[in-house]
Amino acid sequence: MQMVKKIFIALAVIWFAVLLFMPKQAMYYKLEQELAKHAIKINEKSMDEGIFSFTLHQADIYAKGIKLASVEKVHFFTVLFYTKVTLEKLTLDDSLKNIAPTHTKEATLIYAIWNPLNISVEAEGSFGGLNGAVSLADKTLHLDFNESKGIEMLKPKLKQSEKGWYYETSF
Amino acid sequence: MKHLFKPEVFKNILGILVLFLIVKILWFVVEVLWLPPVGIDQIAQKGSKALYYRVKLTPNEAAAPVTTTRKQPVRQASGNIKDIKLLAIYNASDATVVTVAYKSKTKVLSRGDNINGFILEGAGNDFATFSKQSKTYKVHLLKGKASSTSSVKTIKTTGIKAKSVAVKGDVTDAGDHKIIDRALLEHYAKNMDDIYKNIGIGEVREGKNLAGFRITFVRKDSPFAKLGVRRDDVIKSINGQEINSYNAAFGVYKNIQNIDNLTLVIQRGKEEMELEYEIN
Repeated sequence: MQMVKKIFIALAVIWFAVLLFMPKQAMYYKLEQELAKHAIKINEKSMDEGIFSFTLHQADIYAKGIKLASVEKVHFFTVLFYTKVTLEKLTLDDSLKNIAPTHTKEATLIYAIWNPLNISVEAEGSFGGLNGAVSLADKTLHLDFNESKGIEMLKPKLKQSEKGWYYETSF
Repeated sequence: MKHLFKPEVFKNILGILVLFLIVKILWFVVEVLWLPPVGIDQIAQKGSKALYYRVKLTPNEAAAPVTTTRKQPVRQASGNIKDIKLLAIYNASDATVVTVAYKSKTKVLSRGDNINGFILEGAGNDFATFSKQSKTYKVHLLKGKASSTSSVKTIKTTGIKAKSVAVKGDVTDAGDHKIIDRALLEHYAKNMDDIYKNIGIGEVREGKNLAGFRITFVRKDSPFAKLGVRRDDVIKSINGQEINSYNAAFGVYKNIQNIDNLTLVIQRGKEEMELEYEIN
């Protein structure tokens, strides 16, 4: 019993040390490097680290040199077995207003070890609300829109079911 | 000798510190070997210039203006209906828009608009009706080279359930230049997917750098075909703005609704060509 307790404490210490000493900023730079391979770049004004979190402030998102969106705050939170990314005040470039809703109050992506093949997605904005999931096994994205207002520009790309409008694509 | 700390507790704390040290060293190794020390930022494009706008200036040959103000009587329009040439018709259940040429200028009119005293009342498949002083006039579509078959579009709108949005406006040939209906530009600005159904655009690369954009296909009878561009044309510049980056191309897209003239420089084979368009 004493041995089990010691192993448990050792694992807890390792888990905490991994999170404490994780080079979060350097890992974010690695993410930037990977995104740059797909011509996506993020310019952030400032960033700060916590024990379990990493936050970007006033980030501008570029794709192929075109500024597509700006986000007031991007918050990464992880305890290894549960990871959450929150985007606050996401504003798409005005030139995209005919393609997608420009204002998103908050968007959240959650990956948890007890649901390893799915990433859940939730968002709230000028389009009302949406929730859905990215299926890593089927390589699909499914988003259900809770309301039908403010999504007129998206409707040509959406499908309609009994529950309402939804978006589905594969990657 | 009496111990200050229990040796068991000291051993445990030491063990924890050793684990911390091991994890720290491992992360340090990972950071040095695999993680980049700096991020990648988007650098603002330098040297890009705003789109130029063509402005027709009247030669300053007239006499100096007289400063006295004289109230001039409002002149009644006394034009002839024959001066109005009908170039294109867009006729939907909820809107009628026509393009007319009047005194060598083109103008887009919607129902109720006035040109030289003639009010647009409606349109059929190949004619438009105008009224003036309770008389009705019928103007037939000009049977030009470009407008004879393709400039008439009679489209019934089908409401929200429609999956694809009807294309409004057209491109008409005015001899030395072509006239693009502004409604057409607005349609493509709102429905980007429709652009790629009609025209394919690929990258031209010199080494790793983007050098321009090549037209990979143009759908026959589409408005893009009427612009005069062809497959394998390389787009060099639009209104003086070199198109050598996605940002430059997107800059044109963002401003396209605010311009009245469009000059497209393309390379066709070894020849460089300038295509002129009027947006009306």
